[in-house]
Amino acid sequence: MTIATRTLSLTINDEAVGPIDVPETMMMQDFLYEYLNLTGSRMGCGQGICHACTVIVEKGDGSLEEMRTCITGAHWFAGRKVRTVEGHAKRDANGAITQLSPVQQAFIEHFSFQCGYCTPGFVTGATVLLDQLKRNPVRREALEGVISEALDRHICRCTGYVRYFEAVRDLVLRTPGLVKA
Amino acid sequence: MKTGLTRRTVLQATAAGVAIRISLLPSATRAELIETPPHPGADWLGPGGKPKYRLDAIAKVTGGKTFTRDYRARDLAGWPKQQAHAFMLHATRVDRVFDSVDLSLLGEDLKPDRLVLHEDLVADGVAIPAPGFYGDVFFVPKGQTARLLGQPVALLIYHDFARYDAAKRKLRFNDRVVRYGAEGPSTTPGPYGAARYVRIDGGSPEAEDRYSALKDTTIRTGFKGEEPQWPAAGDGDAMARGMAAAAEIEREIANAGDDVLVLRRSFTSQSADASAMEADNGNVWYERATGILHALIATQSPHEVAEMAAHMVSKSTFPLKSIDLKIGYTVGYGTKDHAIFPFYCVLAGLYAEGRPVRLANDRYEQFQTALKRHAFQMDKVMVIDRKTGQFRAMTGRYRNDGGGRENFSVSVGTVGATAAQSIYYLPKSDFSAAILSSRAVDAGSMRGYGTLQTMAATEMMVDEAAEALGLDAMEFRRRNALKSGMKNSQGAIPSGALRHDEILARAEKHPLWAGRQERKAAFEAANPGQKYGVGYGHVHKDYGTGAEAALCALAFDSSGRLKLSHVAHEIGTGATTSQAVMAAGILGRQPDETEFGKVRWPQMPLETSDEPYTLSQEEEDRRMANPRWTPSFTSPMSASNSVYYLGHATREAARALVDLAIWPAARSLWSRGIGGGQLAPEAVRREDLRIVGGRINAAAMQPLSFAEVAAEAHRLGLVTGVTVHSFNRWQWAEAEFELPGTGRRRFAIDALAVQYGEGAPAERKALMTEGGWHFVDRASVFYPPTQRNNAGVTYYAPMATLAEITVDTGSGEVRLLSHHSILECGNQIVPELVSGQIQGGLAMGIGHALKEYLPLYEDGPGNGTWNWNRYELPTSKDVAVWSQTAEILPPLSETDPPKGMAEVVMIAVVPAIVNAVAHAIGKRFHSLPITPEKIREALA
Repeated sequence: MTIATRTLSLTINDEAVGPIDVPETMMMQDFLYEYLNLTGSRMGCGQGICHACTVIVEKGDGSLEEMRTCITGAHWFAGRKVRTVEGHAKRDANGAITQLSPVQQAFIEHFSFQCGYCTPGFVTGATVLLDQLKRNPVRREALEGVISEALDRHICRCTGYVRYFEAVRDLVLRTPGLVKA
Repeated sequence: MKTGLTRRTVLQATAAGVAIRISLLPSATRAELIETPPHPGADWLGPGGKPKYRLDAIAKVTGGKTFTRDYRARDLAGWPKQQAHAFMLHATRVDRVFDSVDLSLLGEDLKPDRLVLHEDLVADGVAIPAPGFYGDVFFVPKGQTARLLGQPVALLIYHDFARYDAAKRKLRFNDRVVRYGAEGPSTTPGPYGAARYVRIDGGSPEAEDRYSALKDTTIRTGFKGEEPQWPAAGDGDAMARGMAAAAEIEREIANAGDDVLVLRRSFTSQSADASAMEADNGNVWYERATGILHALIATQSPHEVAEMAAHMVSKSTFPLKSIDLKIGYTVGYGTKDHAIFPFYCVLAGLYAEGRPVRLANDRYEQFQTALKRHAFQMDKVMVIDRKTGQFRAMTGRYRNDGGGRENFSVSVGTVGATAAQSIYYLPKSDFSAAILSSRAVDAGSMRGYGTLQTMAATEMMVDEAAEALGLDAMEFRRRNALKSGMKNSQGAIPSGALRHDEILARAEKHPLWAGRQERKAAFEAANPGQKYGVGYGHVHKDYGTGAEAALCALAFDSSGRLKLSHVAHEIGTGATTSQAVMAAGILGRQPDETEFGKVRWPQMPLETSDEPYTLSQEEEDRRMANPRWTPSFTSPMSASNSVYYLGHATREAARALVDLAIWPAARSLWSRGIGGGQLAPEAVRREDLRIVGGRINAAAMQPLSFAEVAAEAHRLGLVTGVTVHSFNRWQWAEAEFELPGTGRRRFAIDALAVQYGEGAPAERKALMTEGGWHFVDRASVFYPPTQRNNAGVTYYAPMATLAEITVDTGSGEVRLLSHHSILECGNQIVPELVSGQIQGGLAMGIGHALKEYLPLYEDGPGNGTWNWNRYELPTSKDVAVWSQTAEILPPLSETDPPKGMAEVVMIAVVPAIVNAVAHAIGKRFHSLPITPEKIREALA
């Protein structure tokens, strides 16, 4: 077969993955789905518009970055630490969920989603936002604008965004240190 | 509502003699919703019956496999693990005949493992199920033109993902791959249908109508070209008399004097894409040796998919013994109801040589092939008495473009026409629908279902009429709004109380409306170049289809463990959550186990011709004598039908269980001991029974746990499980059942099966022969008369929205500052889900009013280049995410039923925005969406 492949190794949800031979042109999204059976990061548009497919890249300084997997090749992630939506909640040795992340908990309590297809992207985006606020807290009066700026790129067709945004605001306000006194 | 010609009618009309084969396989045809862990914790439903989160919340928020799209063969028990993949090539022009596909770009390595063309299907006898409804051919035949833009020409199957992925990348957007020959004649079908609803009242709303669809008939006709050929007026049959009534209204308009305002306006509403985030997809594994077709397909209508797939394959050379259809959670806003895509998945399975094969649209393909919202052209006339400010008449001519396959277009067109009156009482009305075909991508069911287009136009025009009359817009509406007991434009009296006056009173007092002029002046003074406006829209939308059928089973074991099984499945609305909440609300115990999307009901050996809209009364009378006959077996997840109609089955099953098990078992426990026990001193009646905080109580009786009562019901051999089948034709079917040891009972259902407890005598247990249940032949049945099909609709939910906007006179941009909505939906089952539907519907409506637009033809989605970069969806910044509010009228009482509201919530905001723009800049727009370009042109 003439499909050019390269060996890929990376860390996903704190587990070493690879080395695996992966086609050079394959998008990260397809690698997650078809090679690793991680289907939570969802295919929405395939052109980087809707952000349903995003994952977290954990950088060297510990800060978090949101990346679109539908337009980013799998090999770009080589050697990097990636957290997909499947890696946010705490799980026991059998993989059963024992505790949701604060963002996930806030979303379910606020009935934030309906069909839930975009939810992994919102979990990712909101988690990155909280990480940024931990490093750079904002004034209370700026909070709604900051949330809008951070999450506006995420498209949701069911909910009208309100319950996602309210959940994030609620979580930010009750998490110490994210809003300046 | 889906009246008139349906898929079923088409099937009967064009495949007579084959129709019986539809029912050949259901016993071997099954479908069910796949629900994988994590399931919610046991505490998901609080003691007050309030859910802490959705039933599906944890799975969805943690990225669990929930959607059909998430599954591969390796995830499905019993399937081979190796997954094959397929994609299709599509025709992007209809003027030249299809010649061939040129795959030379792929080289040897990337050639498909199997290429499937129309000619293969012909050789194997694989034909379109329900011809007409789904078109005539799956793929464009060689030497013929495509029926519609985007029609598939070929299916390419690959045994592995890497080659599939590489090949698809090479071929997409390449217009040399699909090769065309000479110009050829059009193969697009002709117009799909025409219907007309004429009504003249009898002098008052209460008097018997002189003419109406319900009393007389809906007028239907054929076409000459694209023009409906309406019957001649006369005094003969009902259609001729209807045309005479229409002519009378026309004369009144033509001869109108100065005492009336005659307003004529034309409107257009655009084609739109539902943009459900899960694109169409399916995974099918066909075993030739066993004749079993295994499938996992995203659909809102699983029963229909299983049934039609059986019909389709059983006529071919592919042996078929059974179909095992699984469904995941999905979302479609109507567009996955009776879509053709699942049958392409079946085709892929048939030709995958025993491998599980996955066919999954990417977003470009989804735009290219998924069902669209109908574009409408609307010509409306309002006739209003200047003195009273009341309507004398309203007429409307509606033309909707169904594209190149019929699908539900006729139904959407007629539903649009019957909704055109909006919330107003009309002494005279004449609404007609001409449902046209074209080479456009086919349109079908989509949230709003024709009423978004026609009611929004009416509300825009009402605003203009009030201005022309010099009347306050609220006052004009108040004078004309339907009151309880008044008839709709089909002559039917809507169900229950109509509360438009309450909504108007609240809207009028709302600060957004009351202070609009002052705020406009202040805002515009402070913001040069910006204009400010507030607009109002008020609509009501039917829910249901006029043939709503559902099944639900509730059963408990001797430990009190409760299981809920239901035909309902999850399309995002929270239907599974609310069914469980409704059962818990009546029984005082949340289901310990749930099974949704269930298609196989061995305990319900019902027979159906499934022609609920077209069967004559005489024929129905004959058939209903068979106690196992029902007009329809089950309905898709659509038409805002889950809480009221599907919920009715849940509520009836739960109430029957209370009657037949809980109450007698509790009485037995309270009667224990000498002299009749604790019950004896009290006069305790059935109506005293209460289930509070999970405890069963009546009057002064000792509260009992569900488990205690369940154990007693089993010990006594009472009924411990109930399965019901319900049917509604704008009214509920009711039936009586003779139950052993209980006597005759009447329920608002048409079929019943029961299970008896462990202590039941052997002869009673011996009755449980249908999958472990006793199917109880009904002793008598009442079905709503078939004439009610002409009612069009009797169940409505109303919603009004106030929109506050600004217009940038330089850029033409419309910005939504805030909005406030008022909804009436009876009792809310889960208020958070209702509120989520309101917010989401509003966003979709905002998109329709201001952003979303698809060209119909060669530049449109059929060309395969559309995605969300060009088709702009509303984002959070477009919807006033932090400044929107809503209120819901309190229910009339605790028995006010919950109303289907998932569609109405998107409609009122459309005219509200258009009317707000008129308030802001004094220009009225009659064509959607209102883009910045249109504003700039209007202001130029």
